[in-house]
Amino acid sequence: MKKSYLPALFLGLVVAASVAKAQDAVVVANSGVKATEVSSDDLRDVFTGAKSSLKDGSHVTPVTLKGGAEHEAFLKKYVGKSDSAFRAGWRSLVFTGQASMPKTFDTDAALIDYVAATPGAIGYVSAGAANDKVKTLAVK
Amino acid sequence: MSRRVLSLLFLCACASTVFAQDLSNIQIHGFATQGVLYSSANNFLGANTSAGSLQWTDGAVSVSDSVSDKLRVGIQLHMSQLGEFGGPSIQVDWASGDYKLNDYAGFRAGKIKTPLGLFNDSQDVDAVHLWALLPQGMYPIANRSFYLSILGGEYYGAAKLGNKGGTLVYRGYVGYRSLDINGGYQNEINSGVASLETGLGVPYTPPTSPSGGMSFGGDVRWITPLKGLLIGESTMIADLHGSQGPVTFGQPLNSIDQYYAQFEKGKFFADAEYRRQPVAFHEAAGPVFVPIPLDWRSWYLMTGYHVTEKLQLGTYYSHFVDAGGTNNTALVANYSKDWTVSARYDFNPYFYAKLEEHFVHGTDGDYYADDNPNGEKSRSNLLAAKIGFSF
Repeated sequence: MKKSYLPALFLGLVVAASVAKAQDAVVVANSGVKATEVSSDDLRDVFTGAKSSLKDGSHVTPVTLKGGAEHEAFLKKYVGKSDSAFRAGWRSLVFTGQASMPKTFDTDAALIDYVAATPGAIGYVSAGAANDKVKTLAVK
Repeated sequence: MSRRVLSLLFLCACASTVFAQDLSNIQIHGFATQGVLYSSANNFLGANTSAGSLQWTDGAVSVSDSVSDKLRVGIQLHMSQLGEFGGPSIQVDWASGDYKLNDYAGFRAGKIKTPLGLFNDSQDVDAVHLWALLPQGMYPIANRSFYLSILGGEYYGAAKLGNKGGTLVYRGYVGYRSLDINGGYQNEINSGVASLETGLGVPYTPPTSPSGGMSFGGDVRWITPLKGLLIGESTMIADLHGSQGPVTFGQPLNSIDQYYAQFEKGKFFADAEYRRQPVAFHEAAGPVFVPIPLDWRSWYLMTGYHVTEKLQLGTYYSHFVDAGGTNNTALVANYSKDWTVSARYDFNPYFYAKLEEHFVHGTDGDYYADDNPNGEKSRSNLLAAKIGFSF
């Protein structure tokens, strides 16, 4: 009886670890962005359209993933909104003439390529996807 | 005339932009909705809702271009029909140039949308709301264009309040606003004009051009350090001057003050707002001067929850009362109370449907005398359903 639940427990831990890993998102920016770190409040303000610069004055333009665990986790952790509320917020800004819609990407690789080529672009990708084409910003 | 000028300015800006750069920064978005209204008793919102009405159509297309990091230009064209209000003609919803110097200082000029509480500037954008109808005591759909935009300029910005104080977002504007000759307020003004002209023994004079007046105000909202909590206040100060035949009408500068709070956490949200709008309206013809003192007070509480990724449920209670002059606010003719339950289903990121039931008590709301010639019942339910598309 004691032995019977151990494999299930082990399997559960493996699954939990893989899910946690999949949902880790790192913040990446174009290498021209001066900042090396960003506050969670700045992330919230930039990704809700309230601000377009970081604390050090770097001008930034947010880009996002279209969906997926990292996208949901990023929104939940830093923006405090569900995906639909996040999209509704941006639609509201766009249709009232206050902002342009952030560009969205299907994959980490596509987002990284865009951020690498676009001055001021800031986004997020899954942990492990970031490479030396872009700058990784620590979140304080 | 002003619409033509704005369109021309926008086209010039676009043309110069296209010559100056590639087209990758141009964005085109739009939405379209079709609704149905069915009421148990009274006819609502200028439509024959007691028999069921499909006269509820909205659509818009916006084009914008980020010319540089700091300069953006855009235009949105909008068509709206609700019962006898609005019509098939296309209006300029907004058309502006937007220069953002930095986070603290940005400027917009042209036809711009005006903030007043949580939803004034987005009240004609159905796709962003759970509700088919926003609380009508505060955001009356038949009159939304009167509050929605001005021809003028706006200053806006945001400032972080230290490391742990949250962020303050602010907007201030000044300009000219017009009263839609196919809107709800004009409908009520027409009744007063007809009555005065009958007294003078002259035939009724319909409106031929929009009346209007100055509008200025601002909005300050605090994104608090408590994650998901937003608190704000808006003020709009505006007057109105118009005439139809021998009748003049209008109001001096009156102030609308609105206070609000919003809390969002994951799949849950709750909003609350309070608005007070005293209006010293009058109609006059020759020696006859008819003061119409109004004091509109409205508030609501609403909440919603994403049951699943695609299904969102919500409810609100909206309360409106006119305490102007010697009004007895206990009379059903001077208030409107609305319990609403609503569901929204998003088939995908583009298509959605809404189903909503309103339980309305009181008659100082969305009713017009010419749609209810036999009088209005104190209670009536309204079913509102909508399908929409947005991209």
